[in-house]
Amino acid sequence: MADGPLIVQSDKSLLLEVDHPRAADARRAIAPFAELERAPEHIHTYRLTSLGLWNARAAGHDAEQVVDTLIEYSRYPVPHALLVDVAEIMSRYGRLRLQRHPAHGLVLIAGDKAVLTEVLRSKRTAGLVGERVDESTVVVHPSQRGHLKQVLVKLGWPAEDLAGYVDGESHPIALTPVTTPRAPGEEPRPWAPRPYQAQAVEGFWHGGSGVVVLPCGAGKTIVGAGAMAKSGTTTLILVTNTVSARQWRDELVRRTTLTEDEIGEYSGAKKEIKPVTIATYQVLTTKRKGVYTHLELLDARDWGLVLYDEVHLLPAPIFRMTADLQARRRLGLTATLVREDGKEDEVFSLIGPKRFDAPWKDIESQGYIAPADCVEVRLTLPESERMTYATAEPEDKYRLAASVPGKNHVVEALVARHPDDQVLVIGQYVDQLEELAAHLDAPLITGATTVRERQKLFAAFRSGEITRLVVSKVANFSVDLPEASVAIQVSGAFGSRQEEAQRLGRIMRPKEDGRTAHFYAVVARDTVDQDFAAHRQRFLAEQGYAYRIVDAEDLLAA
Amino acid sequence: MASSLPEAPATATRRFAEDLRQRSDTELVALLRVRADLAVPSPATLRSLAARASSHTSLERALARVNALVLQVVEAVVALGGLPRAQMARAVGADAQDPAAAPEGTDATDAPSPDTATPRTARQQIDDAVGVAVTAALLWDDGDVLRPSPGLDEVFGRHPAGLGPAVADLGHSPAARIDATPPEQRAVLDALAWGPPAGRMPPAGTRQREAVDALVAQGLLARADAQHVLLPREAGLALRGGRTHRAPALRPAPVGTDIPAATLAAESAAAALELVRRTTVLLSAWSDDPPRVLRSGGLGVRDLRRLAARLECDEPSAAFVAELAGEAGLVRDDGEPEPSFVPVDATWSERDDAGRWAVLARAWAASHRTPWRVGTRDESGALWSALAPGLERGWVPRLRAAVLRVLDSADGALSPDDVQAVLTWEAPRNAPPSDAVRGLLLEASWLGLTGAGALAPPGRALAGIPSADGTGAVPAHHGTAGGGRSGTTERSLPAEAADPLVTALRTVLPSEVDEMLLQGDLTGVVPGRPSRELASLIEIAADTESRGAATTVRFSPASVTRALDRGRSADDLLTALGRHSPVPVPQPLEYLVRDTARRHGAVRVGVASSYLRAADEVTLAGLEHDPALAHLGLVRLAPTVLAASAPPALLHETLRERGVVSALEGPDGRVLDVRHRRAADLRGARRPAPRSARALSRAGRGPDASGPPVRSEPDLTALVSALRAADDDAHTPATAGPRPDDTTGPGAAPPPSDTDRHTDRDTDAGTQPHADGLALLREAVRDGLLVRVDVVGAAGKLERRTLRPLRLDGGRLRALDPARDAEITVAVHRIARVAAHDDAP
Repeated sequence: MADGPLIVQSDKSLLLEVDHPRAADARRAIAPFAELERAPEHIHTYRLTSLGLWNARAAGHDAEQVVDTLIEYSRYPVPHALLVDVAEIMSRYGRLRLQRHPAHGLVLIAGDKAVLTEVLRSKRTAGLVGERVDESTVVVHPSQRGHLKQVLVKLGWPAEDLAGYVDGESHPIALTPVTTPRAPGEEPRPWAPRPYQAQAVEGFWHGGSGVVVLPCGAGKTIVGAGAMAKSGTTTLILVTNTVSARQWRDELVRRTTLTEDEIGEYSGAKKEIKPVTIATYQVLTTKRKGVYTHLELLDARDWGLVLYDEVHLLPAPIFRMTADLQARRRLGLTATLVREDGKEDEVFSLIGPKRFDAPWKDIESQGYIAPADCVEVRLTLPESERMTYATAEPEDKYRLAASVPGKNHVVEALVARHPDDQVLVIGQYVDQLEELAAHLDAPLITGATTVRERQKLFAAFRSGEITRLVVSKVANFSVDLPEASVAIQVSGAFGSRQEEAQRLGRIMRPKEDGRTAHFYAVVARDTVDQDFAAHRQRFLAEQGYAYRIVDAEDLLAA
Repeated sequence: MASSLPEAPATATRRFAEDLRQRSDTELVALLRVRADLAVPSPATLRSLAARASSHTSLERALARVNALVLQVVEAVVALGGLPRAQMARAVGADAQDPAAAPEGTDATDAPSPDTATPRTARQQIDDAVGVAVTAALLWDDGDVLRPSPGLDEVFGRHPAGLGPAVADLGHSPAARIDATPPEQRAVLDALAWGPPAGRMPPAGTRQREAVDALVAQGLLARADAQHVLLPREAGLALRGGRTHRAPALRPAPVGTDIPAATLAAESAAAALELVRRTTVLLSAWSDDPPRVLRSGGLGVRDLRRLAARLECDEPSAAFVAELAGEAGLVRDDGEPEPSFVPVDATWSERDDAGRWAVLARAWAASHRTPWRVGTRDESGALWSALAPGLERGWVPRLRAAVLRVLDSADGALSPDDVQAVLTWEAPRNAPPSDAVRGLLLEASWLGLTGAGALAPPGRALAGIPSADGTGAVPAHHGTAGGGRSGTTERSLPAEAADPLVTALRTVLPSEVDEMLLQGDLTGVVPGRPSRELASLIEIAADTESRGAATTVRFSPASVTRALDRGRSADDLLTALGRHSPVPVPQPLEYLVRDTARRHGAVRVGVASSYLRAADEVTLAGLEHDPALAHLGLVRLAPTVLAASAPPALLHETLRERGVVSALEGPDGRVLDVRHRRAADLRGARRPAPRSARALSRAGRGPDASGPPVRSEPDLTALVSALRAADDDAHTPATAGPRPDDTTGPGAAPPPSDTDRHTDRDTDAGTQPHADGLALLREAVRDGLLVRVDVVGAAGKLERRTLRPLRLDGGRLRALDPARDAEITVAVHRIARVAAHDDAP
């Protein structure tokens, strides 16, 4: 015990010393039940949370295992209260079970009568359950399966859902060993899922429903395709936007036996319902006269699998709809379980527990995503601009600071440093981007660009026809630009951590020659821009990326 | 059982006294030792000792101190009237429970078995209990038979051991008759067998009633009244198989949960360090902002809540920290008219963690206070507050020792219920309140005396201390809490090395780590207990995020600014960080420190009373270094701005004298009406500034708030003469006149300007500054001169009189009015103006 790699704090954080010889073992051992909170260079911080411990229970780990692991790897004696607490929290999972009863249909069964009584006395469960069959069983209205699970998590007694799933309409899908060319000039290439992708599919399928956490660029689409092949049923795929929907379609056609005719797009533009239908969150959450008009999609077919892309962005109405889909298998895909709105427990109760997780760094070290070098360039504003900034209204300050003209020169200098790389310039404000595009003589993609035009430009960028591209936040999500190896960020959405993950994801695809990716953020000194940058800096450093700050003057002088 | 028949009371008393008389001196001394109340006041004779020993009060007191087993054997003897020693074990049910004790005559102690360490057998414990009861004269030996002390049957009430009254004639072998009863009747008997022996009569006509009636007819039940029946003692005993108790009340031996020694030490150390940290935080928080003492003497609820937030703990824990700091003499009521709790930091800052902890532990060991009651209400419904008087209870030290002893006796962790059970067994008739037991256990855990519920080495040291001889022990007596305090704080530091408490804590404290891993996300991790130097570096330069076995800190612009505020430079800070870090200081952290230092002090705040500004810097050139203006304290802030420590009016006047034509401006930048303002400002300049916010807010004409007021030349002259006058008239101290800041005094109204004080002919001159007037009056007293005095009359109107002042003291002027040839006395505060007679307007 004297020299373990782990320090267990009484506030339930676990500190893992990365350079310790047993660090890798310890990391593997604690990964099932502890959430990685930050991963800077020397000491990684994990945290024990109720949800994390329940996730572990759902994955078949028991409290004794967790306690043993902590004790085994801990450098100092583990706080007694924490061990007691871990056992207590873990014992809460599964005391209530949702099951099928031959006579009563869906029932909630308690191993512990007192727990059932406590739960039933709560106001929140009123209306979700029916009669009490006996002391330890109560009937659950099938339509309330999801709501009940949500409520039980909030009450601290998460139910294990053993009620199974409907099979759904069968529709054979298989992965192809060779890619199907999608674009003119593309050659068929042999491929196979990476080991961790296959593990993720297995983990999900074994657990029934749940979430697979993989970093950006680790190939979540392939995990989705694998799950569909395993299921062999009609599938509803929910994605964030239309561009992403098309990318999903392309990937599915490229790597599975599905043909374009079998895949429908259900978006603002098209309303196709096919055995595999890809719908956007936006269209599902569109309301007309206070009513969600596209809900029928959810019942349009007997879906055997529902896939949620970017679970951490799932809007609240989709949660509500998902609550009614509890009898169908659900797979959530995401790069992070952290939600800026703190609704992690909804994901847990409605989509399911985490079924697979691979830390960013691990996948990077296996060579599946590119290593990255993050640099923040601080630009000192000239006197006149500082004065304008100082006297600006608070709501205009960020915009002013983020789009100072001085940034153009810095961007130019940065672009000049990477003459042979594919460079993406990303920003928030269209005027600034237009100016930059003109400055760099590069094409610009914004929300106003048509989908056709966007796809044309993205294709040109991928093929290397154009090497510089200026994009607005439309590119944040699910646009695959594997060739980009340099990203320059000039302005962002107020320091959102998610956004940072996404932007970094754009350039994280492994490069054929193993080059290091570069991520630059250009920041105006002594402004709110810098404050937001500090937020992002923390995120990146926590993710374990080397992070440097340089002065724009040095850069321009060099 | 002939021997078990009770005796007539008179005989019993006589024979009891006889027994005492038979006891040896040693035995009697032992008796008086265990029943101290018998010796005070000294009984005259052994007979009176016997009488006192069998009095109700004394017996109650004696029973309150005995454990459950002693109580049981006494009760058994009382119930049976007398009991041969040999039958005692059987009577209290020992043979039923402990087969090893069953064969009579075999003495288990004769053959020591390999497991002698096991708890003493039931038989041995019972023998001991009988011994205790006899020593305490609760029982006495009547030959072979144990008899109860007279008066005990009264103490145990009507149904000792749950047995009914003895009925003289139940015939022989009630057992046989009981065995013969049919099942319904037997059920009734069984229900009453183990007491209470009284049963309610079932309703008439039921089968139960029939059974009861049949039993009454047989004499196995006796009618108590129309409603109740009683089970006679003999029948009860027969039903119980001759026993009075089902099983002997042996000492509960709670099985402690095994806590690994390392865990125990770590938990103990963590708690001890946390308590020391909290106490330190409390001291620094209260020295910055001392909380008020409530009128009732305690700490207000809101202050407690604030303290809890500051200590990052709940309110009961915070109350304990405050209480303990009070007990250790680290904080006290400052005794001001508006009292506050202030830290009295005698040696705290010089001690290390273990030394500090020892101060707290020692104070706790001697404390009579009951902090767990903070937040509860007393009998009258008033809320108990922390540090309030009245939270002391005399029994606290005894109970504390008992709690520690119970923990000590167990091998491992005990739950509060276990501890309570043992303590209740030890004195069932005087069981400690469970909130006190829980409270003390919680306190012991906060102090790190226990870890995970088991007694840790520091706890053993503390529990062991009272028995250890003299040196470094807990003060043996502590009359008042104050006495305990001085005892702990005055201990000299060098003794720490030999202090057993300090040593005990040091054995569990993890070794110090002098290393902090700095990371690119601006955090640092100390993988252990930070050394003192490192801890202070962390305290000034970083915010702690997580404490425990390791410490995680975060650097932020705010935390770095804090370090810079304390006078550290960026290089200084980076060097210190680099020295403690095994890895180079990460570039982002270095950048943060340098960047914060660059911005630090960009905006500066200082103190000034007035300023000078000019459109043209040439105007101000040279003023700053003009020796004639040195007393104005001019500092150049910008080419066109000078700040001065002198008040504006003085500045204005002095500059005028120097030939600089200045204008006074108000807060809004407008030029003020000088004639009107000047007077008020000069008054302000001459008088010490009133220390009120209102005065400070009158910027532009407010008096100087800091630094000594700089006086003008004529003003100084007046002062000197006033001083001389006061000096001449030793009986007239300066304070006898109107107070300088007494706004009702003569100085309240605008004074004439300095330059033309005595020649001011302005009709609206109003009243005079007090000093001038008083000086004049004193001068007149001394020289026997006439003065003209304007006195405010009863109606508020000014009356002018010509007077010859005789005496000025005590705030009164005695003077001769030559016009009326009468002596009058005028209160000084009514004098608005004084002028020399020849100065007549």
